[in-house]
Amino acid sequence: MIRPDAPVLLEIRDLHASVADQPILHGVNLTLRAGEIHAVMGRNGSGKSTLSKVLAGHPAYTVTGGSVRYRGEDLLALDPEQRARIGLFLGFQYPVEIPGVSNLEFLRVATNARRQEGGEEELDTFAFEDLVNEKLQVVQMDPAFLERSVNEGFSGGEKKRNEILQMALLEPVVAILDETDSGLDIDALRIVSGGVNHLAGPDNATLLITHYQRLLDAITPDYVHVMAHGRILRTGGKELALELEQRGYDWVDAEPAVLEAV
Amino acid sequence: MSTASVGELVSQPYKYGFVTDIETEKIAKGLSEDVVRLISAKKEEPAFLLDFRLRAYRQWLQMDEPDWAGLGYPAIDYQNIIYYAAPKQQDKKASLDEVDPKLLETFDKLGIPLSEQKRLSNVAVDAVFDSVSIATTYKEKLAEHGVIFCSISEAVKEHPELIEKYLGTVVPCNDNYFAALNSAVFSDGSFVFIPRGVECPMELSTYFRINSGDTGQFERTLIVAEERASVSYLEGCTAPMFDTNQLHAAVVELVALDDASIKYSTVQNWYAGDENGVGGIYNFVTKRGQCRGDRSRISWTQVETGSAITWKYPSCVLQGADSVGEFYSVALTNNRQQADTGTKMIHVGPRTRSTIVSKGISAGHSSNSYRGLVQIGPKAVGARNFSQCDSMLIGDQAAANTYPYIRSQQSDADIEHEASTCRISEDQLFYLQSRGIGFEQAVSMMVSGFCRDVFHQLPMEFAAEADKLLALKLEGSVG
Amino acid sequence: MVAAPLTTAAAVAAPVHPWVGALLAGLPDPAGLRPESVLAAQAALAAAGLPSRRQEDWRFTDTTPITAVDPRLLEPGAPAPLPPVAEGHQRVVLDGRAESLEGIAWPEGIEPLGDEEAQAVLGRCLGTAAAKESDWPVLVNSAMSPAVLGLRVRGAVAPVLELVSDAGEAQGVLPLRVVLLLEPEARLELLQVHLSGGANLTSVVVGAELTSGAELRHGVVATGAAGSVLLARLAIRQAPGSRWSLATVSRGWGLVRLEPRVVQSEGEAETRLRSLQLVDGQQIADTHSRVRFDGPGGQLEQLHKVVADGQGRSVFNGAVVVPRAAQRTDASQLSRSLLLSDRARVDTKPELEIVADDVRCAHGATVSRLQEDELFYLRSRGIGAAEAARLLLRGYCQEILGELPAAAAIWQAPSFSAGPETP
Repeated sequence: MIRPDAPVLLEIRDLHASVADQPILHGVNLTLRAGEIHAVMGRNGSGKSTLSKVLAGHPAYTVTGGSVRYRGEDLLALDPEQRARIGLFLGFQYPVEIPGVSNLEFLRVATNARRQEGGEEELDTFAFEDLVNEKLQVVQMDPAFLERSVNEGFSGGEKKRNEILQMALLEPVVAILDETDSGLDIDALRIVSGGVNHLAGPDNATLLITHYQRLLDAITPDYVHVMAHGRILRTGGKELALELEQRGYDWVDAEPAVLEAV
Repeated sequence: MSTASVGELVSQPYKYGFVTDIETEKIAKGLSEDVVRLISAKKEEPAFLLDFRLRAYRQWLQMDEPDWAGLGYPAIDYQNIIYYAAPKQQDKKASLDEVDPKLLETFDKLGIPLSEQKRLSNVAVDAVFDSVSIATTYKEKLAEHGVIFCSISEAVKEHPELIEKYLGTVVPCNDNYFAALNSAVFSDGSFVFIPRGVECPMELSTYFRINSGDTGQFERTLIVAEERASVSYLEGCTAPMFDTNQLHAAVVELVALDDASIKYSTVQNWYAGDENGVGGIYNFVTKRGQCRGDRSRISWTQVETGSAITWKYPSCVLQGADSVGEFYSVALTNNRQQADTGTKMIHVGPRTRSTIVSKGISAGHSSNSYRGLVQIGPKAVGARNFSQCDSMLIGDQAAANTYPYIRSQQSDADIEHEASTCRISEDQLFYLQSRGIGFEQAVSMMVSGFCRDVFHQLPMEFAAEADKLLALKLEGSVG
Repeated sequence: MVAAPLTTAAAVAAPVHPWVGALLAGLPDPAGLRPESVLAAQAALAAAGLPSRRQEDWRFTDTTPITAVDPRLLEPGAPAPLPPVAEGHQRVVLDGRAESLEGIAWPEGIEPLGDEEAQAVLGRCLGTAAAKESDWPVLVNSAMSPAVLGLRVRGAVAPVLELVSDAGEAQGVLPLRVVLLLEPEARLELLQVHLSGGANLTSVVVGAELTSGAELRHGVVATGAAGSVLLARLAIRQAPGSRWSLATVSRGWGLVRLEPRVVQSEGEAETRLRSLQLVDGQQIADTHSRVRFDGPGGQLEQLHKVVADGQGRSVFNGAVVVPRAAQRTDASQLSRSLLLSDRARVDTKPELEIVADDVRCAHGATVSRLQEDELFYLRSRGIGAAEAARLLLRGYCQEILGELPAAAAIWQAPSFSAGPETP
């Protein structure tokens, strides 16, 4: 939903970043307003995932230039946990397994950290179980997964559902979903995209990172950005995604002029 | 991972390092046959016990200090140790009112209140200060059930027949160098006797406190569970911070008869020395349980976080048919600490079963070894063992070693051993942080997750305590 | 406490052990390249005597079969008939005599290594922390100053190189020494065969240096008889990018001790160890492996299998050493033992020593008999109990046997490839 007067939630300006001294992002510009769904598409190695990791504050990535403001605040100055507490959420492409740490406890600690930041009181074990059971519906997840260790032994689809469950609990202001569709079968894709649609609202924004059209059939973006060589080369509506689907990404390389222009 | 910051986290100050200023009666330094006789005389022991001590002492003279664990420490001068120290106010107090308030205060500070008003409601405590037991709570209530819970000195006086019957039958006085030393000079410790058919109505606990700087601590614990009896027992240990090392050489013997069950838990937090390895307790301990009866069960759970050196292998001799031995261990080492710990499961009887779960966490420049033995004897038809030994390394200066010996002489037996090594990965930390969980809490969650299988085995009252203890070492905000 | 593995050797100036004394007395004066190092080894052997069970490394291994061997150099008798050379194999018979190593037509890519260089290569392979010259099986070999087969390998060698020794029924000790230098990117498939039919001792030291990108596929088939002893040290030094894959199969020896010792000098190499040891009767089989990573990114995959029957004794000690420099090491070790008899005995001791935090090291050990449910499954399909057991054993052994060159089967008694006799 595009509303030109909606408040800006995330503003990325000329963002440069590198990993292990290897520059990956070469000046990314992107503005997310409340209510919008953006899709960033591009080939492997275009810098999409790096963008998501930088936004979430992964320590392996170094910002070498530019700025990111989150509701007017300097996002890059914050620790990863602080970013999460004020409403930034990254849905991981490959959620890690954390043996021994109970999923339920993890979800509770995370939810309470977010609530505390927002001035809400912490939920006790019982109140939290009620909440989590309600949110389980969103992703149609078996409560048995709560008793297991975080992501341990989960299938690809279960891991992604667990990500969306976390999103449902944390109620982010800006949600970044990195390749949430990768490795999902049709049913899982339907459930995950249903969850994302359910959680998207007029006061938050979603950034989908993907390289397939099929996720965008299920979640309709307001904007589609094409990323290559660490920059956003083109921005358009959802029809841009269809164009990519038909033409592939080769034209991206074939348009050096575009590269220069951005 | 930012191992530096995890390193900082694991280096929290020791909370229990204070010294209680109290007048003590000490004998002169050094060890000789006269000293052994003197200790026995001070405790007014019967002849059989003096004999036991002298036999042990003579054997000890013939033995060599073991060096196979490859632990590095300067030679211990056994003549430079005081073998007996006791707070003055010798006579065993009839009631707590007569106990020196300074001692009560000490245990208060350690979180072990002994006075009527404050004491733990469902745990009976025997408090041992340097060489003597100063108080035992709930004795009367336990006596109503026929349970004997008292200091071993008291037991020698009041139940000599039980002591004579069981002492030294699981760990013979010449079992090993440190056990022989203990047998010669042991000062105090706890005695527990659960008669036939009795389920001990409350948790029993002994709290050991070393206070004196030049005194060795040689406590001796004996627990006997008769047929169908059961008991859960916990020991805790702390010591002040000295820049010299104190020797602690304890012996624990457990006897379980038919259908009896003994659960023995330890939370060991002796002073570990400073970050350069100066000071700290040398903890050389022999713990062994004998499942003498059919279907008996002995379970060791230990959380080892303190001591400059830990050398202990709580073991089970599974004699009775269908008896069960268990060992659950968490050992955390940091700075220059060295831990060599594990277990022996000796399967003698048919269909005996054992489980070993060991979690070692090494940080700093420490060294943490699991050393264990699973032995299946020729008569142990149908024996089963499962062992799991996991190590977590924090930083690249710490060592984690695993030496699991397996010996089998029985074809109808299954032995299974698994071991793995892991660290806290940057990605796991980032994942938790990206959900709003702070760095310290994230590390602490992962360490306690790593130890979860062991904490589950602790009595409920102490599981949280153990978690907190690790957190104390791992988390700056606590304390 | 855990029964004390004593590390202190009886180093007191004791009289020389009679067996060692007799062996040393019968040796010719050392000739060749470095007589002083041979004399030093002889002196060290005299001081060491026989390995003692008080030493941690020999704690479970009874060495009395060694003393039953006549303590003198073995006089090779008339060569026993060997099976015909398989196609694609080149065979070299090792009988301990230097003359036997002369005038061999080596295949393309292989050429003899000069004595000096062979010594240097062997020194590098043995002389690291993981493989001290003073270890007994090396010491006894060095003291006898065996003829050295030294080879340089370049490029990909087509034929499988077969090195065969057969001590037969002769009395005495047969020392053998092989040194290989694999130049960068060289590839060689090597099959070592050691046979014995009587009370003798075959002492083998193999040193192989694998330079960058080199690959050695290495098979060892060792078949002995009651009273026969085999002591073999395989000392391997691997440069980054090299691959060593070893498969050993031993059976029948009164005492066999195999000591694969690997050092990945700068990590980044691949080591794959597969071994199968079968014991029956009064036999003792012992594998002491040690893999050390002296650099990052090394890999180890180790599987040790045991079948113990009769009153056989099996010992496995597998050390994996990962110092601080060896970040990102990925090592796995699995030891599986089948105990088929109540009088057989298995001692297993993995050893992991790790001082690096970013590593994956896993090890596992199982000791059991044949799985009831597997046996039952086969029997429920109409297969008799004995046949079912044989099938399962065969499958169990095949996992290792399959790693040997196909033609290795000729060295195995028919019942061997079918698994050992059924329980």
